[in-house]
Amino acid sequence: MSIEVRELNKSFGVGTPFEKQVLFNINLQIEDGEFVGIIGPTRAGKTTLAQHFNALYVPRAGKVLVDGKDTADKHTDVSELRLQVGYVFQNPEHQLFKETVKDDVAFGPEKQGCSTQETDRRVREALELVGLDYQTFYQRDIFALSGGQKRRVAIAGVLACNPRVLILDDVTAGLDPRGRDQILEVVSRLHREKKLTIVFISHSMDEVARLTSRTIVMDEGRLVMDGPTTEIFLRADELEALGLELPQVTRVLRMLHREGFSVPLHLPTLEEAVEAIAGALSSTGVRNRWN
Amino acid sequence: MELTKNVTLGVYLPAETVVHRLDPRNKILLSLVLITLIFFIDTYLVYAGFAVFMVALQKISRVPPGFVLRGLRPVFPLLAIIWVFQFFFYEAPDAVTLVSFWIFEGTDAGIHMGNLIILRVLMLYLVITTLTMTTSLVNLTHGMEALLSPFRRLGLPSQELAMIMVIALRFVPTFAEELEKIIKAQMARGVAFDRGNFLRRALSIFRAFLPLFVNAYKRGEELIVAMESRNYTGGAGRTKMKTLKMTRLDLLAIGVVLTFSVLVILLIFLY
Repeated sequence: MSIEVRELNKSFGVGTPFEKQVLFNINLQIEDGEFVGIIGPTRAGKTTLAQHFNALYVPRAGKVLVDGKDTADKHTDVSELRLQVGYVFQNPEHQLFKETVKDDVAFGPEKQGCSTQETDRRVREALELVGLDYQTFYQRDIFALSGGQKRRVAIAGVLACNPRVLILDDVTAGLDPRGRDQILEVVSRLHREKKLTIVFISHSMDEVARLTSRTIVMDEGRLVMDGPTTEIFLRADELEALGLELPQVTRVLRMLHREGFSVPLHLPTLEEAVEAIAGALSSTGVRNRWN
Repeated sequence: MELTKNVTLGVYLPAETVVHRLDPRNKILLSLVLITLIFFIDTYLVYAGFAVFMVALQKISRVPPGFVLRGLRPVFPLLAIIWVFQFFFYEAPDAVTLVSFWIFEGTDAGIHMGNLIILRVLMLYLVITTLTMTTSLVNLTHGMEALLSPFRRLGLPSQELAMIMVIALRFVPTFAEELEKIIKAQMARGVAFDRGNFLRRALSIFRAFLPLFVNAYKRGEELIVAMESRNYTGGAGRTKMKTLKMTRLDLLAIGVVLTFSVLVILLIFLY
């Protein structure tokens, strides 16, 4: 399911003293099955842009086509669209509104008209996908969940609708490292197993570097970079100028490079970086644990 | 979506106008005078005069009239219902029936009453928005607190009351924003807020308010902790960084409003 954005401009508060343009001439295309990251400083317009993908915002200037259908067209069934393009919000407190986990996750399938059996099957599958054991959690009160668990329930609730696109808006914000890793593992698995198109909005360059194959960089309502993740992250100076903090691994490699060590600057994983650094150190005669 | 677009109550529009510079105690008292006046007016002509005065005032304080009217949009349906209610159910001894079926009896007195109520709401709204749009929250608190302080001796917790009022006002835009997020989250899961019969829509709105209430309680708790950790222990003995002072401008304002009020009272008696 592809998403196409043409000449999108968006303003808030049109006609009030607080009118402000937040998106300027956005053009992009996301193909079926891509794992795209959207990064940028706060207020760059990432969420506003992403909320056009499931027709929460409908463009007045420009066009947004999801699966070939114009979101601004009156004949497009937006409710149907919103079930196909799942959106997980940053704060699960806004998204969860039923009392128990089961009821909340079942909400989507029930809305879609699924039978009790089908709903049950989907709820089980969704909970398993996010790593929550059905037996343990299905009766649990929403209020009795931890932040990370709530987030996973929110994702499960969206997954239960069988979407073809998944938009994750800053889903790791405010989580401890373990909770974060759990979520990221879930997301990664979803892309691998279910072949969903994933749009991943994040403030963490580390996460985007780790998971995505394509990165879009936004700043002040404009699309400033769009390309393969490895290439984008090579433009470290530009990214830093935008106020973005490079992934930790990249920063260390750059520091070493500046000091004269021969280490590659492209984006490796932590393991590769460790090897490269060990190699560079051994060539200077410094002994370390790895050689 | 943009729910906050129409929120005008609690929004402060900073500017450098004479109205902005007035002492908040003065502004609050004068607003009360004007509000009291509203309830004595009963002719359309005088209401028109009052409206002209308020619009002129808003113009001087650079309050955009379009923005103000916008804030009324969400209330339109309610006002319409009230009007219809008055039309069909208001009883006056010399009323002339215009329309009649079943238990509904539409009278001319009913029309008049309906209009009166709506006009009063409108004027009230104009006065209050003028006050809140030209007075920052900090100043509003100071003003209210200062005005209520003489009642401290009678046991009225004036500072605390002022604090409650201001916190309530301050959270109106915040809650509007939060409600918008909640509605979007529910829309994203297939809840349609713009379709279906009245009952369905009412249910959808109720569903959206539930998380809002829960979050409101949580915010309340957080606010308590925040205030306590800043050593807030109630109003006794609190001092201010900026003290309120009445200036000649304030005297002028009092003069203007009193003159206007006298005029209005005269007009009321003449007609």
